[in-house]
Amino acid sequence: MTRPRIDRELVLHVAKLASLSLSEREVDRFAAELGRIVAYVEHLDALDTRDVPATAHVQLDQAAWREDEVRPGLSREEALSQAPRVEADGFAVPAFVE
Amino acid sequence: MLEDLGVTQIAAKVHDGELSAEQVAAEALGRIAAFDGDLHAFLHVAGAGALEQAREIDRRRSRGDKLGILAGVPVAIKDAICTRSLPTTAGSKILARYVPPYDATVIERLRAADAVIVGKTNMDEFAMGSSTENSAFGPAKNPWDTTRTPGGSSGGSAAAVAARMAPCSLGSDTGGSIRQPASLTGTVGIKPTYGRVSRFGLIAFASSLDQIGPFATDVRGAARVLSVIAGHDPRDSTSLAIPTGDFEAACGRSVRGVRVGVPDEYFAEGLDAEVSESVRAALRELEAEGCTVTPVQLPHTSFAVATYYVLATAEASSNLARFDGVRYGLRVDPANLPGSSRAEARDLRAMYGATRDAGFGDEVKRRILLGTFALSAGYYDAYYLKAQKVRTLVRRDFDRAFDQVDVICSPASPTTAFRLGEKVDDPLSMYLNDVYTLPASLAGIPAMSLPCAPTRAGLPVGLHVMARPFEETTMLAVAAAWEARSPARSLRPPMAQPTTSPAD
Repeated sequence: MTRPRIDRELVLHVAKLASLSLSEREVDRFAAELGRIVAYVEHLDALDTRDVPATAHVQLDQAAWREDEVRPGLSREEALSQAPRVEADGFAVPAFVE
Repeated sequence: MLEDLGVTQIAAKVHDGELSAEQVAAEALGRIAAFDGDLHAFLHVAGAGALEQAREIDRRRSRGDKLGILAGVPVAIKDAICTRSLPTTAGSKILARYVPPYDATVIERLRAADAVIVGKTNMDEFAMGSSTENSAFGPAKNPWDTTRTPGGSSGGSAAAVAARMAPCSLGSDTGGSIRQPASLTGTVGIKPTYGRVSRFGLIAFASSLDQIGPFATDVRGAARVLSVIAGHDPRDSTSLAIPTGDFEAACGRSVRGVRVGVPDEYFAEGLDAEVSESVRAALRELEAEGCTVTPVQLPHTSFAVATYYVLATAEASSNLARFDGVRYGLRVDPANLPGSSRAEARDLRAMYGATRDAGFGDEVKRRILLGTFALSAGYYDAYYLKAQKVRTLVRRDFDRAFDQVDVICSPASPTTAFRLGEKVDDPLSMYLNDVYTLPASLAGIPAMSLPCAPTRAGLPVGLHVMARPFEETTMLAVAAAWEARSPARSLRPPMAQPTTSPAD
């Protein structure tokens, strides 16, 4: 397949997906660094994996099941204790609807 | 005292009343105060809290209560592991003021075994790195040579044990973050089988790879800490209900007839000649102990670094999405940034972006970008799915090798500790430093590093021992057999010279 060019445009697109506001300088630097790393990763193409199943996780076939029961968790006070901003007993976020 | 005593000896002496837990804790805190200015192994020292915890253990002993198997043993905790009422930063500015409202399961278990938590250790931000130079709070130093790195990401936990500021510590290992620093600091470090230890309360980096494990000054000490933290936890669905076996009893078991495999691919280009010779010498000694040593092949070894950096960054990009300035950690309001408009100030996404740009360091951003790229529409199959398939090939390599041998031995790191600053400008060369530890992480098998003969310059070298899933006991038996013969056994960095003769 054709390989992507890791340029400013692609870095800005990916940064937007990842909710990162990068400075102009960062965009240029990451484009260069990611280009080198992605080029290195592409040596995986040397392997024929058409008939190989993917591994998402190891040993999960041996995982234990448990009942789905309600159990005590953090109190509201504890859960809110580390929030940068709290309003009306909840996490406060900037308004995003008019 | 801490120069001379390991985990099991301290626990025995506190148990017998020969030492009080308070004395031991005070000595650990004293050594931290004396040496951490140079080493920066700690991000937070528990101080008064540790002494109070120790006095409570002493009170319970004087009342005649039965103490746990880590009675009075000081333990240092990697700052990625949540500790109630003790700061937990994961080495990141974004969590600089975070104080978790709960303990990780491993912390609950340590406390229940009467261990004393002396502090939180320095690390690469979110465990992303191999030198602790990615810590937002400045690097840790190697006790053997403070111009060098202790390795990473659990470098602070390794340095703390090497300098005998604590006889044991906890780290986390995603691609080698326990084993590589253990190798570079001359300590024992274990990455258990994936699923052996609960990850509840470990700040997640790559969930299919992360595993908490111990560092200690000796194999038996590491085995005891592992026995305390291992076991099923209903709060982590990936922790498995597999019997743990007697890890400590395995240390000292005969290794006669144990088949040791030596992968040709691990003794290839890039391996330092002195490291190679030190590891080969250890293998000859294991042969003298009755092991059979044979070559094995792990043909996909050279693909592990690329596979790992796709999978780990993909998982990280998803895990680190939780740092959004809302529920915990840093928040940066664009309204307070110069040149922002009123509209931006009210924009939720602008708040996310500004918070994450200010809170994350370069390596974390680099990995979030790489991982997001590998998972994004159009590239998912070519990068993420491809890497998952190669992960299967790496696992099959180990399955085949373990048909022929019981353990696999190699160097833990291709070189000894490198100088601070040497690799910071080249992310790829830093990644390649993990070439020997990454395959075991991808396969989910248990692996550990323990000291073998140092180089002529006096820097530690680590022997890497890998075993089949859940066969930590076989791995520990081989490690302990080598340790008993290792010339590194009595070696200490300058600030931790023994105060008594070895015969005592």
